[in-house]
Amino acid sequence: MSTPRPLAGAIAALAAISLVATACGSDDTSEDTSNDANAGTTVDAGSAASGSDAGPDVDSVTIYSGRNEDLIQPILDQFTEATGIDVNVKYGDSADLALLIDEESAADNVQADVFLSQSPGSLGFLEQNERLATLPDETLALVDESVRDDEGKWIGFSGRQRVLVYNTELVDESELPTSVFDLTDPEWSGRIGVAPSNGSFQDFVTAMRATEGDEVTMEWLEGLAANDPVSYPKNSAIVAAVGRGEVDVGLVNHYYNYRALEEDPTQPSANHHFPNDDPGAVLIVTGAAILDGTDRPSVAAQLIEFLLSPEGQQYFAAETFEYPLAIGEPPPANLPPLDFAAVGVVAFEDLAGGLEQTRQMIADAGLQG
Amino acid sequence: MPTVTTTGAAAMSGVWDRRISPVARHLVPIAIAVVFSGPAAFVLWRTFRLGALSESLDEIIDPLWRTIQLAVLVSATAAVIGTGLAWLTTRTDLPGRRFWRVVLILPLVLPSFVGAAAFIAGLAPGGIIHDALESIGIDAPRRFRGLGAAWLVLTAFTYPYVLLPVTARFANLPANLDESARMLGLSSTATFLRVTLPQLRPAILGGSLLVFLYTVSDFGAVQLLGYDTLTRVVYATRQTNRALSFAAASVVLILALAVVALERSQRGAAQPDRRATVRPMRPIRLGWRAMPALLACTVVAGIGLVVPVASLGTWAQRGLAEGRIGFGELIDPTISTASVSVIAAVVAVGVVLPVAIATTRRPSPSSQAAAVAVIGGFAIPGLVLALALAVLTLNTPALSRWYQTLPVLIGAYVIHFGSQALASSESAVRAVPANLRESGRLLEPRRGRRWFHVDLPLMRPGLVAGGGLVMLATLKELPATLLLSPIGFSTLATEIWASYEEGFYAATGLASLVLIMLSALLTWALVLRRSDVIRS
Repeated sequence: MSTPRPLAGAIAALAAISLVATACGSDDTSEDTSNDANAGTTVDAGSAASGSDAGPDVDSVTIYSGRNEDLIQPILDQFTEATGIDVNVKYGDSADLALLIDEESAADNVQADVFLSQSPGSLGFLEQNERLATLPDETLALVDESVRDDEGKWIGFSGRQRVLVYNTELVDESELPTSVFDLTDPEWSGRIGVAPSNGSFQDFVTAMRATEGDEVTMEWLEGLAANDPVSYPKNSAIVAAVGRGEVDVGLVNHYYNYRALEEDPTQPSANHHFPNDDPGAVLIVTGAAILDGTDRPSVAAQLIEFLLSPEGQQYFAAETFEYPLAIGEPPPANLPPLDFAAVGVVAFEDLAGGLEQTRQMIADAGLQG
Repeated sequence: MPTVTTTGAAAMSGVWDRRISPVARHLVPIAIAVVFSGPAAFVLWRTFRLGALSESLDEIIDPLWRTIQLAVLVSATAAVIGTGLAWLTTRTDLPGRRFWRVVLILPLVLPSFVGAAAFIAGLAPGGIIHDALESIGIDAPRRFRGLGAAWLVLTAFTYPYVLLPVTARFANLPANLDESARMLGLSSTATFLRVTLPQLRPAILGGSLLVFLYTVSDFGAVQLLGYDTLTRVVYATRQTNRALSFAAASVVLILALAVVALERSQRGAAQPDRRATVRPMRPIRLGWRAMPALLACTVVAGIGLVVPVASLGTWAQRGLAEGRIGFGELIDPTISTASVSVIAAVVAVGVVLPVAIATTRRPSPSSQAAAVAVIGGFAIPGLVLALALAVLTLNTPALSRWYQTLPVLIGAYVIHFGSQALASSESAVRAVPANLRESGRLLEPRRGRRWFHVDLPLMRPGLVAGGGLVMLATLKELPATLLLSPIGFSTLATEIWASYEEGFYAATGLASLVLIMLSALLTWALVLRRSDVIRS
């Protein structure tokens, strides 16, 4: 028969203690906000006591961020340093967080004040479901009107350009296409990597529909499908596949290749930029929105304005190799300058059927995966 | 004399069983069933409300067929590999059995997207498989995609779902039957097929079912390997066409429930063991067969563990050499990961055990419904389950204030992974021989003491194995952790996901290696050391 097992009990107890310690100790600010946020619509006694007179707690702001922690936490820390306002962040996939916000909002229990999205598609989804508040005019005025929502519900704070990443050992520079439309030529058969279910690809196709019309776009999608492209789940997977030589070229956002080369400088991959007026060179914005139902709209706006300040914009240019979107900010040193008037930007509101129509067209063309 | 005893005991057992009111007996499984079936009910209700199931069918039918093909292939292969390896590592004199028992479980610990990515990297120039093939003059395939690729990778990462419960079953399988069979002249193979296998059947079926459910609800691996299944429909349309997304999730769920029902009907009436194992069995001598057996173990561990670890190591080493990454940032996530996983495992076993007792000792429609509900929690794609639980928590007045807190997160793990403890727990309950329970009743009237001194020690290998599976699943869980955890809470899985998503492969590699080491440590310390098998 068995003897008692003090070790098992000890390990379990240790686990429980350390869990409580992690949850409460490592990040005392998160505790404040979760209390505060949990209170939802009711008045939170704790926050009222913490300083501001009966109004909402302005010492902190909560973000749901579809943008990666490594790419944005440093600038959020700078915001805290500059303003004394704590920032609490839940990281996740933009589309998943948008779905969660939608459900929270439906239950009248919104946790976050700000949503940062990698994809305009997720912002468009929340706008359509009326989950976003209108941004103040002075915030909206910081960027060109082409990179913000017409209704003022969201604003772009950094941009990634669509490019063709290619394997420098398998593709000669002279061979590279001058337009994304050339990829339907038979010479590219079996050589292209795409991410049909990825947000950026869908945003890019949506932009093409806006500038070229549904018919031209459908024709291009069918031509692309006829060339038997290889499907990947996302941009980074395409860049890795191009680096391995699994495919020769891939349709991606520009900055993944810089990241890949930082990870492995020997990888034989490079970006090919289409001309600015080509649909293949469209700018995909990373956008910010204030959530409907937040009780801290002014702090939320303050945070978004900080992302668009020279400090914030140069952070994105220098650290994430992205295009700054605030008016007057120069692009990163290693990127060609961008003519905002010429480069297309995704505009859902002009399109019948929006993103779902785009997805359906991609599926109907036979691009899947 | 024995007849008299049995009859007497049966009468006694009637007396004792009457102590638990029939209402309570049904109420506990029903209450557990209600909690576990919440997410599934939500998914079906939402699908019904969005009302697109019939229009969506033509977008669903092809992926459904591909999903079924893959799941059948993977679960059948995993059943063979898992059972074979369990037999080799528990019943034979395979060299290095203890080592293999830990190592062969580890392929389970990697999130499937990172496992698949690391495996693919192994095939690329500079990768371990590519270079190994090159050294013997074979060109590695340029692309590794499709059904075959998904079959290989998913099998390599899921066979431990069969291995662990079957190993636990071997630990308390009466050895005397095997020994008598062999003494009567049956070869060891014939003994295995005719005597051992029938006794293992529930454990094998239960484990294969988990593999089936894992495969139908996996997204990360199949997506990377370019094999288009139903989960791709769920994910690709989750924002743009929610009706279609929910319809696809419902089809996954219905398929899974059908298979669960089939498995439970095939399992047959479970007989409790006639007697408890009181002595270890003499291991079967492999002789010359030790070499092929070792080769088999090496190949399986090679595909499921060595290849991914080599790729992850290459990634991590680049970052470490340049000082871009370090272990410091991983300390908090490691502690969090270990804590929630162990707690989830303990809670899951506690919750599932009453169901296992009900299905095994007092089968009834309510106990079967509870079992199906528990297993159904694993049949929902992770993201859909996380969203379902978010909606249920947000809209239940008593629960909404617990939204995004650790208790709800633990509850999510238990609902999602409780199924993994069920098959092993049922084996555990069966391991308590009826005659022992009867004599226990005569000798020790106090139910609690009897439970601790008779039942629990005999159940321990099965319960620990079941808890071990829950722990290993929780260690790598992603969607529920991302959506339902308190703000600022991170685990190794969320670190791996975040860095992988953006192509920070060095950080992905390091966090994954830490996850593997943590899993190995916890598996050894908490599962294998206490499940008795290691001592044999």
